[in-house]
Amino acid sequence: MNIANILLVNINVPDLSDQLLSHGYNPVFVPDIPSILDVDVPFAVVLINQEAIGDAMAEDMERLYFASSGAPIAVYIDDSAAILPGLKRALDEGTLERVYRHEVTNGLATSRIDRIYLGAGLDIIVRAYQQQADEKDLLHKEINLRNRILEHERELNANITGSITSGLAIVDTAGNIFIINEYARRLLKLTHNDFLGAAYRQVFPEKISRFVENALKKITGPWKRHEMKKITVDDAVLEIATYRMNDYAHEPIGLLMIINDITDQENTTAQLYRSEKLATVGTMLSGIAHELRNPLSIISARSQMALKKVEWDREWAIKNFESIDGQVNRCATIINSLLDYTRYRATQPTLHKVDEVLDETLTYVEYQNIFDAITVEKDYQGGLVVFGDRSRFVQIFLNIVLNAADAMSGRGVLRLTTKAEGQASVLVEIHDTGSGINAAAKDRIFDPFFTTKEPGKGTGLGLAVAYKIIQDSGGEIWFTSEPHNTSFFVRLPSGKRKAYERKTAAR
Amino acid sequence: MNEKLLLVDDEVDFLDVLSEFLMDEGYKVSTARDAKEALALLGKETFGLLLSDINMPGMKGFELIKEAGRLYPSLKSALITAYDVRDYLYMAKHYNIGNIITKTTPFNFEEVRLLVKNILSEDVFGLDHYMHGPTKQTMVRSTNEIEGVIQKIVADMPDVRHKRKFRQVLNEIIINAVYYGAKSERGDQKELWPLVVNLASDEEILIEWGADEEKAGVAVCDQKGVLKKEEVLYWFERNATKGDDGMSIGLLDEHGKGLFISRETIDRFIVNIKRGRKTEIVMLNYGEGLYDGYRPLWIQEM
Repeated sequence: MNIANILLVNINVPDLSDQLLSHGYNPVFVPDIPSILDVDVPFAVVLINQEAIGDAMAEDMERLYFASSGAPIAVYIDDSAAILPGLKRALDEGTLERVYRHEVTNGLATSRIDRIYLGAGLDIIVRAYQQQADEKDLLHKEINLRNRILEHERELNANITGSITSGLAIVDTAGNIFIINEYARRLLKLTHNDFLGAAYRQVFPEKISRFVENALKKITGPWKRHEMKKITVDDAVLEIATYRMNDYAHEPIGLLMIINDITDQENTTAQLYRSEKLATVGTMLSGIAHELRNPLSIISARSQMALKKVEWDREWAIKNFESIDGQVNRCATIINSLLDYTRYRATQPTLHKVDEVLDETLTYVEYQNIFDAITVEKDYQGGLVVFGDRSRFVQIFLNIVLNAADAMSGRGVLRLTTKAEGQASVLVEIHDTGSGINAAAKDRIFDPFFTTKEPGKGTGLGLAVAYKIIQDSGGEIWFTSEPHNTSFFVRLPSGKRKAYERKTAAR
Repeated sequence: MNEKLLLVDDEVDFLDVLSEFLMDEGYKVSTARDAKEALALLGKETFGLLLSDINMPGMKGFELIKEAGRLYPSLKSALITAYDVRDYLYMAKHYNIGNIITKTTPFNFEEVRLLVKNILSEDVFGLDHYMHGPTKQTMVRSTNEIEGVIQKIVADMPDVRHKRKFRQVLNEIIINAVYYGAKSERGDQKELWPLVVNLASDEEILIEWGADEEKAGVAVCDQKGVLKKEEVLYWFERNATKGDDGMSIGLLDEHGKGLFISRETIDRFIVNIKRGRKTEIVMLNYGEGLYDGYRPLWIQEM
């Protein structure tokens, strides 16, 4: 600052203005203390007439201190001996001090009492100004020190963020990258080095940008402790956990992201689930082989009858071939159901009647002799639809039903119930009268590789996979169990609602 | 002989074609779609034979036969299924049921015809009942003759498939007929059986063999009739049932395995028993690819 403004309050000293100007100060005149508030230029020193102080009321004094904004206050006294009784009283009575104390008790401790200078002429201004300059110098030194500490802290931060094998990035609410570590750069495949302060949109891959955009929108609203999402960038599957960063007033200031590469993990899981799918295919395959035997034997019997018959009357022939045709179609349906199942993602998710899915599931297992003495009861509400991949639903129910049959050791009642839960979801209950789930198994029943079956009889993946499929489709699975009374509940989002959501999302 | 048949199956199409066939064969046939309907019909008329599917909604075939047998003791019965009979052996043993017909592809009408006829007439002995064509026969009078007889039979078999299979089982079956059937030696003390046994005239074993267009067959018949249906079912079940270790629970049994293995090897393993009079094992083996599917259970005890 080349020219320092000096605020002159109620000062009418001849030549003072010229003297100030000649010393490089710029005088700004105001008639009284209240007028200080109207001044809109910063000032270095307040010079106030002792008469103005002497006449000032306590509230004026407060105003003076607020208005001075930390600038030293110099009181202009022509003659130090001739200090006005008003000013003396103000000092004696501590009016000035009271202001000071008032501020201290409010926790804003600036020792303004030090900044009151008494004297005549320019020297007090110079003294006050010098003091101010010294303070500034000190401040500079302090700032330098602080900067150095900051620098050090930043280095430490960089070391920490650089050492961890998780990607870490912070984007502030304005959308600028505040921190991004080496690992995050590698995971996001960023080629440049210096992204600090850059807009995330220009830096991140498009998928990630879209994700950050959504997350930033959300952090101003209600926010869970953290959110987790999987995003595939090229061949890598990234798991991004987002956290909201708050200031001391709990206002959001940025989005903290922890990014991990879970590609291997995902591949392993996918392999596990494929192997479970194969196990299910095995179960279904033997079911299908059994199912085919019936229609095939009918077709064979009908054909043999036709070959043997000497004369065909028309009515007989029609009945015979209608039967053959019907049984051939039945074979085709049976084979198709397996094809649908094994084709990986060949079928688009679509609406399925939940009752039909349950019935289909039963056809794969009912032939097994473990079902010979099991009575199957159905209590279907009818008309309920779920949305998704049919084979996945079959897989879920197949696993639960087979477990139920095992728990009953082939004797008891299996009850399948379907009902609507409002418009939003469909509840399927699979109830059995088997031995029940013991306490130790209850906690672990959905864990992968947990099985109560004998070695070689269960993969231990059935319920784990069912759990995962149900979670992925936005549903829930749980159970209640005591001896002779076990129920598995599967809640699936109603197909109508899901289909509607997709339709509206596509628009 | 009551020639009225009651067929029970939830497969309506199957009921239709089977009843058409059996009516062509000269039987009177009624049909029912489940056990309840069947029991109602049984209450109204007297039937000679109840032929029921195993796996039906509601009461299953085994329970139906048990209930029908309790209500009408003279009613004869058999089961029919498209599934693996081995899976039902424990039930067959439990309910003491000897006849389970299987739905094969091609459908084996001839077998159904024969089984129905046999069960109703109880005229079952003699290989000529099972073959369309001439049969040969010989008597085994000493264990020394067994190998010679087997070689003669095998030499007569029309193709190598039959030769191999009969070679595999005949020794076991004839040895059993001599030691267990004719001489009543204890099956669990095979190591004490004399090496050479000569048979008296009322102990001789009758062997018949022959072949027709579809199959080759051998019958081995003793004159004592000591084997019991429930014994046969017991051994079959022990060998078909897997234990916790995945092995059959009859694996370490001293005997009974031969019977089961023979049944597994030969396409049709038929046991005819007239208690105290004679036991006949009829083995039929089909040409390649004929009547694929599961093997029936065919034990008839008079």
